[in-house]
Amino acid sequence: MKQSRRTGSRILIALVFLFLYAPIALLIIFSFNEGDSSAVWRGFSLHWYQSMLRNRLIIESVYMTLLVSLLATLISTFAGTFAAIGLYSLPRRRRDVLLTVNNIPMMNADIVTGVSLCLFFVAFFQFWGGFARWLNGVQSAFVLPERLTLGFGTLLLAHIAFNIPYVILNVAPKLRQMDRNLMDAAQDLGCTWMQAFWKVMLPEIKPGIISGALIAFTMSIDDFVISYFTAGSSTSTLAMTIYGMTKRRVTPEINAVSTLLFLTVLILLVIVNVGEIRQERRRRNPSVRKEPFGERLRRFLSTRTGRYVQWGITAAAAICFVATVSFLTAETQSIPVVNVCSWGEYIDTDLIDRFEAETGIRVNYQTAESNETMYSLLKSGGADYDVIVPSDYMIAQLIEEGMLSELNYDNIPNFQLIDPRFRNLSYDPENKYTVPYTWSTLGVIYNPTMIDGPVTSWGALYDERNAGKVLLINNSRDAIGEALMYLGYSVNTTDENEIRAAYRILDEASKRGVFQGKVMDEVFQTMEGGNAAIASYYAGDYLSMLENNEDLRYVIPDEGANWFVDAMCVLKDAPHMREAEAWINFIASTDASLANMDYIGYASPNSEALEQYPAYYEELYGEPMDPELYDIMVTPPEVLERCEMYENTPPNVRALYNRLWIQLGI
Amino acid sequence: MSKELIRLQNLCMAYDGETILNNINLYINDKEFLTLLGPSGCGKTTTLRIIGGFTTPVSGDVFFDGVRINDVPPHKRQINTVFQKYALFPHLDVYENVAFGLRMQRRPEPGSKRGVKLSNEEIDRRVMEMLEAVSLKGFERRRVDALSGGQQQRVAIARALVNRPKVLLLDEPLGALDLKLRKDMQIELKRIQQQVGITFIYVTHDQEEALTMSDTIVIMDKGNIQQIGTPEDIYNEPKNAFVADFIGESNIIDGVMAQDRLVRMYGRQFPCLDGGFAENEPVDVVIRPEDIDIVPVEQGQLTGTVTNVTFKGMQYDIIVDFRGFKWLIQTTDHSPVGSKIGIKIDPDGIHVMKKSEYSGMFGDYSSFSDEYDELNGTDEAREEQSNET
Repeated sequence: MKQSRRTGSRILIALVFLFLYAPIALLIIFSFNEGDSSAVWRGFSLHWYQSMLRNRLIIESVYMTLLVSLLATLISTFAGTFAAIGLYSLPRRRRDVLLTVNNIPMMNADIVTGVSLCLFFVAFFQFWGGFARWLNGVQSAFVLPERLTLGFGTLLLAHIAFNIPYVILNVAPKLRQMDRNLMDAAQDLGCTWMQAFWKVMLPEIKPGIISGALIAFTMSIDDFVISYFTAGSSTSTLAMTIYGMTKRRVTPEINAVSTLLFLTVLILLVIVNVGEIRQERRRRNPSVRKEPFGERLRRFLSTRTGRYVQWGITAAAAICFVATVSFLTAETQSIPVVNVCSWGEYIDTDLIDRFEAETGIRVNYQTAESNETMYSLLKSGGADYDVIVPSDYMIAQLIEEGMLSELNYDNIPNFQLIDPRFRNLSYDPENKYTVPYTWSTLGVIYNPTMIDGPVTSWGALYDERNAGKVLLINNSRDAIGEALMYLGYSVNTTDENEIRAAYRILDEASKRGVFQGKVMDEVFQTMEGGNAAIASYYAGDYLSMLENNEDLRYVIPDEGANWFVDAMCVLKDAPHMREAEAWINFIASTDASLANMDYIGYASPNSEALEQYPAYYEELYGEPMDPELYDIMVTPPEVLERCEMYENTPPNVRALYNRLWIQLGI
Repeated sequence: MSKELIRLQNLCMAYDGETILNNINLYINDKEFLTLLGPSGCGKTTTLRIIGGFTTPVSGDVFFDGVRINDVPPHKRQINTVFQKYALFPHLDVYENVAFGLRMQRRPEPGSKRGVKLSNEEIDRRVMEMLEAVSLKGFERRRVDALSGGQQQRVAIARALVNRPKVLLLDEPLGALDLKLRKDMQIELKRIQQQVGITFIYVTHDQEEALTMSDTIVIMDKGNIQQIGTPEDIYNEPKNAFVADFIGESNIIDGVMAQDRLVRMYGRQFPCLDGGFAENEPVDVVIRPEDIDIVPVEQGQLTGTVTNVTFKGMQYDIIVDFRGFKWLIQTTDHSPVGSKIGIKIDPDGIHVMKKSEYSGMFGDYSSFSDEYDELNGTDEAREEQSNET
């Protein structure tokens, strides 16, 4: 009986650990996958680690993350330690109150901390702007910058702010353990307070300081939410970059980065814990005293040579620190810059290097994860991008709200290469604001081995015979739009009855159990793994699914489909207008368009590129391109005829969409 | 010998609105062993910390060798301290703990503004000398937390004395030791004090410790000095019921001074040696338990019933009920519980005190038990809190 209970509890523990660690193990395993699927194993390879190292977005954000984490750790450890000491010189009652206050930020949801810091910074910038304008007006001895933006500075401040409580929390118990008379004893023996601090208090609370610093560092490396709201547009941490990549799909590159991130944090935690265990053992068994390495090191450092070495190391560290900081600030000041915000995995990053080499303009390439989040970031004043790449309907909305700046097409000669089919589109009828970046269609992806007959209609998505095998796209505009097309209505209809009719189609199908679930990114794994038969998704992404599951087919239903354009535009009052136009011109070039088409699988609007792509493909891969695939990537004009583009809908229709979508549940 | 070294003048201290020291005036002579004695929270540790410079008084002055040192920080005072629980530096070994003060020292030297450090040779010589003096030779490289309580105690003393201070402050230094060790260390401390010939200011709540070691005892309670005197003075001539009770065992009985050298208790007159009171002035009469002779009932000045007998080795502690008031008597004769006995007190066994705020609070052994001393014992927590200023 007892035995079986023990076995039972062991199994339970094993299950708990399995549940905790299996996902991480899976991620680590798939970071070594030869193929680019997260479901299909294609053999071992370090391919993704190599490509990660070549991806400058990742490398830059790793560098940024390390820099911010290290600086924030240093500063917050210093501030937190002295804050804790200060707290301990207070009477007990007041100290307890303050320690409780200290705990609140740690309990606070990151999102609240992030948003409030963002608001605080933006409010301060406004106040500062007024103050600087006034001061620059009344005197001419020096000029204060009038326009401050979120960036490295605010990111660092935010990290310091959320790290300090962790340091205090770690140092405080060491202070509590310390004999209160120790500091008195040291002063009694001839130390000033400061000397007593260095010689007596610091060695006593050092373990707390070190673990506080390590935890602060871990929290800093780990943080996404707070960074997201305080980093602004020119700075991006690793977590932010990874998140930005998820708009399209999680590539194994991210698995590689995440594996490294996980290992870093793991190593730090192991260091903290081993340190604690060792200390505990020493406390329990104090008479054992073999001279440890630290002791020998300390003895060496107290010799004359040792002291020189110490000074040397300190000086070198200080020089490195100053050099890094000045390098960073100097670089951002003197070199022309353009801030670009796009989607993750939506550019061949070699293009960025080429552009920088050709023009000498530095590109801050950031990623957002959806049109809507980018929009809210712009609205909050938390971003100052120059170039953004929103989708058609969002562009219409931005133009309507006067948030875009008109382009000078004289500076963008490559605009002439844009096929006339992609100019003067409904979102920008006079083509004053935009240069198209990519275009594609939203069609049906299906697996013919799992269902009967070829799919030719949107109706397959709602067909009871396919019950449990259909993935509904998790986006109200697309899901309801598909049903509208199925019924033969316009996707831009404002007729409430038509919209409600479309909703009923979805509702009935849902009640009959046709849908397996609502998905966005999960569509890749599920379709590639053969776990669902039908889904609607973008043509560009179908091509990458095909690499992992050759059975999959893509079709534009007879009723027609949605087609969309993502276009580059420049924000109103962008600080780097000239550089922004140079960037747009470069991306619109035939060379860049070909590289992008190959890398991201979406068609370019550049007519030369569209024409040359099959030849480019053949040269690159040594085999001709399958014309069927070319037709899927570059939808032929007669098929595109049947397709309709989303237009900006009036607010009451948008609200109706949202209401119905929530009602649908699933 | 009796040159004044430290003077405390009108010292007042309060913490969180609570008075801790109430107008303390005290002078301490050079080479004197002075003990601040009192129960927890009496202000003795605060007084010590003010002398050491760790606490600043609300008002009043501290003079050292005639110079006011209120604003001199601890590290500039020629005073060293042995702290409660020793406060040894756990990250340093025995040798480095003792050497700590010497490493901080700078000898004034012409041409050098900050002075020069002591040479390693001198430090080594003085540390080793000191370790030898406290019998810790061979322990130099031990971790301090691997030492016994007594050894830690001696490290703490060595660490303070190696700096050759003019005054050594000791804050309940023997509190953490067991009884046997404590007795040895009392003698050891006294020996060290005589050997180095400096002033010791010693804080304790243990009256026996105070009597054994001190030249002068200062009895404190509730922030006030109750009495200052030699151990003999204090034991034989307590000023009030508090002192009488705190130092040794005392039976304190209400009496009336009939006239000089005659006090009335229990309706009977007892000859004594005290005088200078008003006629019929109510007084407190102190009778030490060992000054009472047991005699046959018919010869006794008073008669009572034995209610409790405890064997203490050298003597019996017996509790005797005299008309509801219980006395403690120490005697070598055994009297069984329930027996009637008579007592006789010599005039020099009677000490008459003026009535004070403490009258009626002490000196009755009704609640006597073997744990009596412990019940009277310390409340460390309260003491520590008053130190937190």
